[in-house]
Amino acid sequence: MNINVRILTKSVAQQYAFKRIVTFSTKPTQQAAAAAVPQQQEVTGSTVRRPIVPAHYRFVYPEFLPDPKVEWRNTIREKLERLDMLDRRRQIELPEFYVGSILAVTSSDPHAAGKTSRFVGICIHRERCGLRARFILRNVIDHQGIEVVYELYDPTIQKVEVLRLEKRLDDSLFYLRDALPEYSTFDENMEVESLEEGAPVPVNDIKVVLRPRPWLERWERQNLLGVANIEQYIKDKHRKSSEKAQKPWEKYDLMKQYRATIPEEEQKEIFAEVHTELHTLELQRKRNKRKRTFVKPKHLA
Amino acid sequence: MAQILLRNFARAGNAALLTKSSNSSSILATSAEPGNCQLHTTPACCEIRKLARLRVVDNSDLGKRAMAEGRPPRCIHVYNKRGIGLIGDKVLVAIKGQMKKGILVGLKQKQRMKQPQFDSNNLVLIDDNGSPLGTRIHVPIPTVLRTILKEKTLAKGADYTKVLAIASRYV
Amino acid sequence: MNQADVSKLISQLRIAVRPNKRHLKNVDGPEGRLLKLRKTVTALVKHERIELFYNRADEARGYAELLISNAIRHGDRHKATMELADYWLLEKQLVHKLFKVLVPRYENSNISYTRMFKAPRDYPGIFYRKSVLELRGNPFPVLTPDNSQNRNLLHNVLLDEARKEFRREKLANLANKLAAETENATPSTPAQVPVTEQPEQSEEAPKA
Repeated sequence: MNINVRILTKSVAQQYAFKRIVTFSTKPTQQAAAAAVPQQQEVTGSTVRRPIVPAHYRFVYPEFLPDPKVEWRNTIREKLERLDMLDRRRQIELPEFYVGSILAVTSSDPHAAGKTSRFVGICIHRERCGLRARFILRNVIDHQGIEVVYELYDPTIQKVEVLRLEKRLDDSLFYLRDALPEYSTFDENMEVESLEEGAPVPVNDIKVVLRPRPWLERWERQNLLGVANIEQYIKDKHRKSSEKAQKPWEKYDLMKQYRATIPEEEQKEIFAEVHTELHTLELQRKRNKRKRTFVKPKHLA
Repeated sequence: MAQILLRNFARAGNAALLTKSSNSSSILATSAEPGNCQLHTTPACCEIRKLARLRVVDNSDLGKRAMAEGRPPRCIHVYNKRGIGLIGDKVLVAIKGQMKKGILVGLKQKQRMKQPQFDSNNLVLIDDNGSPLGTRIHVPIPTVLRTILKEKTLAKGADYTKVLAIASRYV
Repeated sequence: MNQADVSKLISQLRIAVRPNKRHLKNVDGPEGRLLKLRKTVTALVKHERIELFYNRADEARGYAELLISNAIRHGDRHKATMELADYWLLEKQLVHKLFKVLVPRYENSNISYTRMFKAPRDYPGIFYRKSVLELRGNPFPVLTPDNSQNRNLLHNVLLDEARKEFRREKLANLANKLAAETENATPSTPAQVPVTEQPEQSEEAPKA
């Protein structure tokens, strides 16, 4: 019953969004493109049932893929969660970002003076999926390293800005905790560095300099690409133990990889379900961005 | 005799802790004597319990001298029922041979969602009435402290909200 | 884990996959397990049908399936797939077999590439269950008995009954027709007799 209502409201909302695109678009060409894309997808959806989903969606929206652990799978729950995620994304702009991007998160905070708090920092980790997707921001303020964990779909988050969109060489940057503070120091009043449209996300191949031991983790065992001076601090015993801890056979363990991923067919199905909506939101965001950049000179003058 | 031995060990460990305090000056100081910072007797403990080393972050004379000497205060009692200090809890510390009270204003431990987690365990020294010994806190403190310290201040007892007044910045 | 690994795309397997791996007790740990399974996968690709313990067959089956599906997906120009084939197939001529024989064989199939059967366990013997693992489309005679000719099979019993009933109905129709004709024209009976015999003979033919 509830699901029916939700699906109905979703379809109604889609129609509504579609109408809005037509009426409020600034540029005629863009408008046509925006109007054309959902139409095409509706047509293909009715005939083939699977619109073509861009391959990069799994990197941009990893939280839409469920946890591959079989015991925790529940298709109905996953579907409902996806609907909720789309609902949330309609309310707030949740931009594309990666580990290594610099974000500014504004969230409502009942304890703060203005009832909101803004935190700028580098995203050092992304984890969990569905509505529980979260990320960790790190910054050094007044020579004090600070980390804050945010949930991506937290309703108290008011704004997520990507100040610098880039990737790093590693999947998670926990080693910044043991690096010199300048590598995780970011100005709070940083300007947004915009990328050209359609350009690939740049990979920042900066090599971080670590402090001497003791470290929080055994970084020498983790085959990190973004650390410059790990050899400087490790001794023979560390080298030996890290060699022992390596698992070179895991890249041949096909079933382990299979159990850690969602197979391609399933991914296609999931993204086909949310693709139309996400694409519409993306176009809307692009249009808003253009509007904002157009408005900006007025304020200055 | 044993006490002296313990103090020596503690001293060596403190040097290691200082490197974590992410203060650029202290890094320079410790990197000058690399042999010292390699030795630490206990692993880094994220929990504040008895004998946990803390970092004084206000500009009180006592605290500044203790940190500069490389002998940071040790927690010798936590004033709550669990015995493990959480943010805003009052602790009793041994600092330079004296017993002082302090308030925890930043922890290494995992925090709740949206609440900051610090790279060091920060402490602000207070006296029995709750008024801080220093006049300024030179690191950011979490905003939750406002609510927590207000709740902890009772009409008759000590007034902890004075700590908030000397904060330079909130996160 | 908590988040799906998105760095690699893998096709879905057409077999039931257990949620967790079997450890297959091995002194060398997970590496030893893989080294052992490697032998099984090599043997499977080489002989196309092998008989072994059930647990090991079930574990090796997933690896063989994924190896073939990767080979189909990426072809022999893909370096990572070639490395995989090199690891999993101990005899190097089998790498050629994988890409030149098995890939064309399974390219257009939409069912699993392997089959597994439970095999009987010899009585005073090791307790472990046994099984037969084979590649589909192998040249050997099929293992499952062909029951289509068994007279006691329910389908065959029903078909027989249906056939009998059909014949009975036809005979009854003929009898009715004959009776009607004899009533209409009594003198022409000798001419009708051979006509009635002919269909009966033609009915008997399929029975034999």
